Order: sequence, then structure tokens, then C-alpha cells
Amino acid sequence: MDYSKNEMMAIATGREFKDGELAIFGVGLSMLAGFFAQKNHAPNMIAFTEGGVYGSTPVGGLPWGIEDNSISANATSFTNGVDALGMLVAAGKVDNAVIGAAQIDKYGNVNTTGIWTEGTQPWKVGKYTLPKVRLNGSGGANEIAVGAKKYLIMAAHEKKRFAEKVDYISSPGYINGGNDREQYGFPGGGPSAIITNLGILRPDPVTKEFYLDSYFIYSSVEEIIENTGWDLKISPDVKVIPEPTEQELENLRAVDVTGSLRKK
Amino acid sequence: MANKLISMKEAVSKYTWDGMTFAHGGALPVGSDCIAFFREMVKQGVKDINCISNCNTQGTNLLAAAGGIARMEVGFAGLEVYGFANGLKRMVETGKTILEDYSNGAIPIRLLAGALGLPFIPTFISTGCDQQWCCADNPDAYPNTEKIPQITDPFTGKSIGAFKALNPDLAVIHVTMADELGNAIVLGTEWSRFELSRAAKKVVLQADYIVDTDCMRQYPNLVRIPDLVVDAVVYWPMGVWPACSTGIYDGDEEHFKNMNKMLKTDEGTQEYIEKYVNSYNTNEEFLAVIGKEKIDKLTNTATAFLMAPYKKWIKSDADIQKLMEGR
Repeated sequence: MDYSKNEMMAIATGREFKDGELAIFGVGLSMLAGFFAQKNHAPNMIAFTEGGVYGSTPVGGLPWGIEDNSISANATSFTNGVDALGMLVAAGKVDNAVIGAAQIDKYGNVNTTGIWTEGTQPWKVGKYTLPKVRLNGSGGANEIAVGAKKYLIMAAHEKKRFAEKVDYISSPGYINGGNDREQYGFPGGGPSAIITNLGILRPDPVTKEFYLDSYFIYSSVEEIIENTGWDLKISPDVKVIPEPTEQELENLRAVDVTGSLRKK
Repeated sequence: MANKLISMKEAVSKYTWDGMTFAHGGALPVGSDCIAFFREMVKQGVKDINCISNCNTQGTNLLAAAGGIARMEVGFAGLEVYGFANGLKRMVETGKTILEDYSNGAIPIRLLAGALGLPFIPTFISTGCDQQWCCADNPDAYPNTEKIPQITDPFTGKSIGAFKALNPDLAVIHVTMADELGNAIVLGTEWSRFELSRAAKKVVLQADYIVDTDCMRQYPNLVRIPDLVVDAVVYWPMGVWPACSTGIYDGDEEHFKNMNKMLKTDEGTQEYIEKYVNSYNTNEEFLAVIGKEKIDKLTNTATAFLMAPYKKWIKSDADIQKLMEGR
């Protein structure tokens, strides 16, 4: 079957959503994955935006932003940030979500704030110096990280992105592992999977360190180890992720009207 | 009741000053914000602004690029699918703008505390991460324990974070429609505009339409910003351009990209200011800068039906002119 790696990644992410879930996703790939799931196998999944746009689906292509007019044209309710991000997301009512990452570590901590020159990271030098590259910050991903019952992290699998320790934690995963989230009392459960262009990592139930669970047919355990910046543990029953079915591809492409994922 | 309509020029000169704590209201970077007010701030050379932002928008991107923002507290510093905010990014990387990081939910909740008159508000948001441990105002203390301190819940004895409340000197809030008294209706998500209108010491509205007060009497449940919290109303059609105003116009993708490209350098920023800030004085001239053909395209929005119930109350430019002269 003919499909792109981005399509496979979106479908693998979409498969993590269950019918009936209350979900939140951002723009781009994560929104496509979510709407694919809704069309394919989760018709009763309810999605909303972090600013409080309820009941809507994109009109005329994917939106440039999550409060863009193209997602405001058929809404059933408009509220606000305190409501959507505060009362629903941070308060622990959301079942599942997707966030992105510029950098990610073995405990699922995500950096979207900045990249520092090696050796000058705040946690290494004990002060907050200017980053070499300033990124966009956490946005609403931090609320998802502290509040969602579970959430998915999507990231390109590269050694420089998959670090032993991220330069800056914008959105906390399991922090230093184990029960570390408990000291902050977070209502949410933490990240349930990291989905990359090469495979899927899942957290160890006790240590919360992410291990390799499965990989795509065009990838391999070796390639994933090579592209991971920490000593990645491999599941003893590591498996190949099923390829997209014809129905899945058809449903994804019905959502991805502009074909943004089809490019190889 | 007082007629609060004033000109854009007067609003900026009367309500802003160098070094003030300035907050602005709208949706996320691609959604609505008082972008036209930011253009006028750049035109009048307002500087050393301490900016309270839910998110960066093309307004803060422009004011930062022009050197007007000394410090900013923000939840998201980018432009969503359009990428990095080049003007702001450049100023942060060169140390000209101090950026204090929070998350998107943090700023509305801190404004809510400010609106309630509380000194702080408990939070899970922004804790257990570098938003809590890194403080741009006190960079040598890492991990910082004063920006978002952990306190003890007096009821359970458990540890929880505490956000400091926000009470900006001024909030400039984009609304879809307002009457001359300052009652306002927002179409689309209101983001933090409700909290902002109560937390700020002064409130100026930037409105796409001026409507008769009878409109407010018909839909009082939708008037989330009532006149008593508002100090001034500025009528400025297309004022969110190049972002979108739900119900009236879509975002201008071409200009949005071009603007961000120009803000990447000092020279480009100067050129942008010449072409799109200093090139007009009146709203009529501003609309001519955007161009009729472009405006026709942008106002052909799939959200236009949202405005339908309010149309009969919209005041004409001539009526608004009379109201302004009658003050």
C-alpha cells in the first residue's frame, strides 16, 4: 500500500484515541490525528480547543491557529481560557490529548521553550542564561501535561531531540521518574506514549522511563536506538506496528483535505 | 451616561505611557487582538512596555520588533502554524526584551486572581517544570523559589504552587461590537477578555463595529464587558488585520507571513513601519492601505452568519462621526 511516513504517524497517533473520550489537540499533525480518529473509529469522541471553541470541525482546510475562523464557523459554544484550559484541562477532566516537542527526555519531559549551547543549560550551570535559540514556549501544553488523564507526545525521532535530559522543561512528564509527579499534586496521569516517525515509546509502569514498545515496518530497533540520546531500553516483546488499513488511509485522507501529510 | 468614543490617536496618547504595565486582549496569535492599537503605539513611539500577554500576537511581535517591549510575561511566544514570531524572537535572543515564561492557562488565571482582588491563587499549572524554576527577573537563582512558590494547602497539608495576581495599568481589548457607553459583545472565544476587563486599572476597547445600546438590551447575556468597567471606546474597522475577527473577517495569510518576514530584521521592521504604520492617519486611509480587493476577500468569511442578528443596530460612520463630535 502506498502511504507516507507522516500518514503512518498520524494514524498511529489516532489509534490511541478511544470512542467517547473528551480530547484536546493543537493545530497541524495532532489535529489531523484527532479528527482522523473521530472519523475512523471514535465517532463519539468530543474535542474542543483550549480557548473554548466547542462542537466545531474545521471548515475549508486546516486552521492556521486553534482560534482561527476556520474552526469557529460551526461551533456550538464559545467560552474562554479559564473555562477550557483551566476548568476542563488543568482540572483533570480531559481523557486524552496530543502535544508536540522540540526536545524530549526519557521521563517524557518536553521542551518547547529554548535550545541552549551544551553546558550552559539552566539546570547545569545553576542560572537562567539566554538560550541560543528561543522557541515558542509551552502554550497550552503545560495544562495538558499537568491535567489530562493521559496524553500523547508527537516528535521527530532524532538524537539531538531525544535527550538524556532536556535543556528546559516546558511541560512536565514524569520529571525525575517514579512518583515524582506526586509532590506537585497534579490531577493528570502523565504521558502515555511518545509517537515518533520511527515508532512508539511507552513509560515503564514503575520507573516511568520510556522504552521502545513498537516500530514501523520501515524502521528498526537499531535505527531507533541510533536516533535516541539516552540508553533506550527495548521491550522484550517489541513488535512491528500494523500498517494502515485501506479504511484508515481513506478516512485520514478525507480529513487531510489539502494532502499535507501525503508528501514523502 | 457618558459617551466614551475617542480617536485611536487620543486613546494611545491619553492611556499609555513609557514603562507602564500594559495588557492586551484577544484570542491566540491567529485569533483577534487589538493589533491596530499596537500600530498606533509604534507610531507614537511608546517604549519600555512591561507587557502582559496571554500569547504573543502580531501586535506584540511588531511592538517588540520596534523596540517598544522591555519585558513580557507570556504563555506562548510564537505564531502557531505561521511559526516563530521573528520580531519578538530576535529581541529575546539579543537580550533586549526580557521574557518571563508562563503557560496559556497561567495568564488568565493570574488575571482572575487580580480581578477578584486576591494577592495570589493556588495552581498546578506551571509547577514541576522550568516555568517555575527559571525566573528571567532573577536569573541567578536556579531553581527559583519565589516566582511560583510552593505553599502548603492549609486544609490538607499538601504542597501546591502559588501564582502572583496580575493587575495591569491598562488593558486594551478587542471586541466585535461596542456601544458608545462601553458595553461590548465578543464573537468567538473570549480568551481572557472577561478577567482582563476586571483586573486592569483602566480599560480601552477597540471595536470593529459601534452598535446602538438597544443591541445590548436584546442580548444582555452576551455583554460580558459592561460599560462600568470601560474607560474609552475606539472605533477601528479591520483593526485585527492581519489576524481574524470572528464573524467579520478572516486572517490575511499573505500579509501575516510577509509581516513576520519583515520583522525578522531591523531594516525590514523600519520598512514595515513606513508602509503599514506611518502610512495612514485615519481609519479610511488605513483601509486603503489594506486595499478594497483584499478587504472584500477577507470579509467573505464562513463565520459571517454570526453577525446576522446584530446587523440592524450597527451605526454608520456618519452617525459615529456625529457622536465623536458631540463629546
